[in-house]
Amino acid sequence: MRIEKCYFCSAPVYPGHGMMFVRNDCKVFRFCRSKCHKNFKKKRNPRKTRWTKAFRKSAGKELTVDNSLEFEKRRNTPVKYNRELWSKTVEAMRKVESIKHKRQARFIMNRLKKGKELEKAADISEVKKNIHLIKAPHAGQAKQLEDKMVQKLAEDVEMDE
Amino acid sequence: MGKSKQVGNHNNGKKKNIAKTWKTKRRTKDLDQIHADMIPTNAAKLLKQDVDYDVTGCGQHYCLHCARYFVDLKTLKEHFKSKPHKKRLKQLREEPYTQAEAERAAGMGSYIPPKTLEVHTQQVEEDMD
Repeated sequence: MRIEKCYFCSAPVYPGHGMMFVRNDCKVFRFCRSKCHKNFKKKRNPRKTRWTKAFRKSAGKELTVDNSLEFEKRRNTPVKYNRELWSKTVEAMRKVESIKHKRQARFIMNRLKKGKELEKAADISEVKKNIHLIKAPHAGQAKQLEDKMVQKLAEDVEMDE
Repeated sequence: MGKSKQVGNHNNGKKKNIAKTWKTKRRTKDLDQIHADMIPTNAAKLLKQDVDYDVTGCGQHYCLHCARYFVDLKTLKEHFKSKPHKKRLKQLREEPYTQAEAERAAGMGSYIPPKTLEVHTQQVEEDMD
């Protein structure tokens, strides 16, 4: 049994599931769900539809180049059954899969860190800009107190992180 | 109660009947098929077709990139200046999406970004009638 990939969203299509469209130039398109089939009939580009794997890879939102992605391939040669080879292969598949998941997760977390940095900088900037809403601008020793308060709020922001 | 089929049927715009254009019997050429047509040998065959009286314009005024036949040379030239044609050229400048790319996106191999191609409007010969 062979698990195909959906033409549109790259999800796995298990035997007995999905739909298949054979175009009149004999090119085959497999779809995992009606959603993908409808989008294909509307001639939408999977690279530009945001919920597809092709978009996420082409837009740089997922790990694209890595050695752990090279293990899964389409090999069109039948292999004679061998119990030992079978056990080794299944064990290797588990190992490679866990390594792949770890690397992909790390890539995504590294990508999202930039957002946290920007959010923190925006918070500090907003406190500096709008401190006058909770403190009179030119009260006695205003500058000193303002700086102290900004510093304290910055420390609070850091502790909240 | 649902909408009556006898009410509001007088706007014949494309918006109302857009579902019909998605049916398989009305399917037009996909972008990768047009890319295959743009190969020089195939393009030469398509731009110099035999006279076919069942096709618009006897099959003599064909826009290669939009996969459409036009009734005469003037209409074809008007089409080259139209917005859908320019949009189609822009779409064709990107490498077409394939099943292999879908599989690479699913994790079967490293992802290869699509390349850009140079696509221009075809040349038309002024025939002396």
